[in-house]
Amino acid sequence: MRVLVVYCHPKEGSFNSAVRDIVMGRLHRAGVDVRLRDLYAEGFTPVLTRDEWVGYEEAPANRVPVADHVADLKWCDTLIFVYPTWWYGLPAMLKGWLDRVLLPDVAFHMPQAEGEVITPGLHAIERLGVFTTCGASWWLTCLIGAPGKRTLMRGLGLLIKPRAKKVFAAHYLMDTAPRASLEKHLEKVAAQTDKLIGVKPVRSGKLSEATVE
Amino acid sequence: MKALVIYAHPVPESLNAASHGVVVETLRARGWDVDDCDLYAEGFDPVLSTEERRNYHNTEINTAPVQGYVDRLRAADAVIFCHPIWNFGLPAILKGWHDRVMLPGVSFKLADGQLSPCLDNVKKIATVCTYGATRWRAWLVGDPPRKLITRVVWGTVRPEKIRYIAQYDMNNITQAGCDAFLARVKTEMEAF
Repeated sequence: MRVLVVYCHPKEGSFNSAVRDIVMGRLHRAGVDVRLRDLYAEGFTPVLTRDEWVGYEEAPANRVPVADHVADLKWCDTLIFVYPTWWYGLPAMLKGWLDRVLLPDVAFHMPQAEGEVITPGLHAIERLGVFTTCGASWWLTCLIGAPGKRTLMRGLGLLIKPRAKKVFAAHYLMDTAPRASLEKHLEKVAAQTDKLIGVKPVRSGKLSEATVE
Repeated sequence: MKALVIYAHPVPESLNAASHGVVVETLRARGWDVDDCDLYAEGFDPVLSTEERRNYHNTEINTAPVQGYVDRLRAADAVIFCHPIWNFGLPAILKGWHDRVMLPGVSFKLADGQLSPCLDNVKKIATVCTYGATRWRAWLVGDPPRKLITRVVWGTVRPEKIRYIAQYDMNNITQAGCDAFLARVKTEMEAF
């Protein structure tokens, strides 16, 4: 199993970094191959440029500006995102990763004839995990329609293997979250990570890696 | 009446650029004072930094890194977003405008865990956008960008009027389709 973890948060020590550490801990414990991309730490540029847009459909040259990210995406069979939800959506940094890396002939194929739609290009990805935090409540997020979750779980979900295994876990009301709730969430993240990669569920209270700021 | 047009497309010869041109021209012809904010041309940095995250809720200093953009938003009676839809979402440069400019104390107030609107100057909001996806495919995914504008931004700003003008299925569009879309944008902006 080859797992690509895409992590996006500006502040080390945030709850999201604790979620990332739990995910990484479970993956290492399971002995799977892991690559971590920390978009803020590496200073990823999220803005798709004019040249990239003009050459958007010209594969394989279109992947040159983000060749290493494309290589990681093509390498993995399991994709995990860890990020905060801002304005009910992905941080610009992560949205830009989708804009620039999910290219024609990488993530999908352009329509071949009039009236057709794009076809998926990431069938090698069999598992998708999404872990996020929301300032809003669960019910308000549902009322809005959870745009961030849907961009990944459904939008990206259309491009990966049909009926791929998917897990999602979000902690809501982050601004007023009690510590116990955050710790419980980290246990949920661990259990969902285990479920995603198909190992036995973790026992509650046994998370040596779990830390909450 | 002042209209802030927030435009986010990297290529001037695109249909999106053409629709942006129609928006600006039509509004000016109708007597609006248009502030044309081209995020790509202005080199807007969409990445919310560590420092900004740290000070996010401190309404005394959180606007400082984007003060110019906050002032332009506060001066507007109407806001019109012109942009493509990429991967069922806003282009990163525009998502970052929301992340960095729609701050606590600018677009909403947070008191005792309750949000309340505070961008009272903005009475009208419109989006003019172009999708690669077909309408049904976007619907299947849940059409996240439509929800961002018609639910999140609407709920935060509470304008008197909101319009969502979208061209779907750009991958299969004909010249006649482009013309029809531009005509529709013109009609919408005349009535705005």
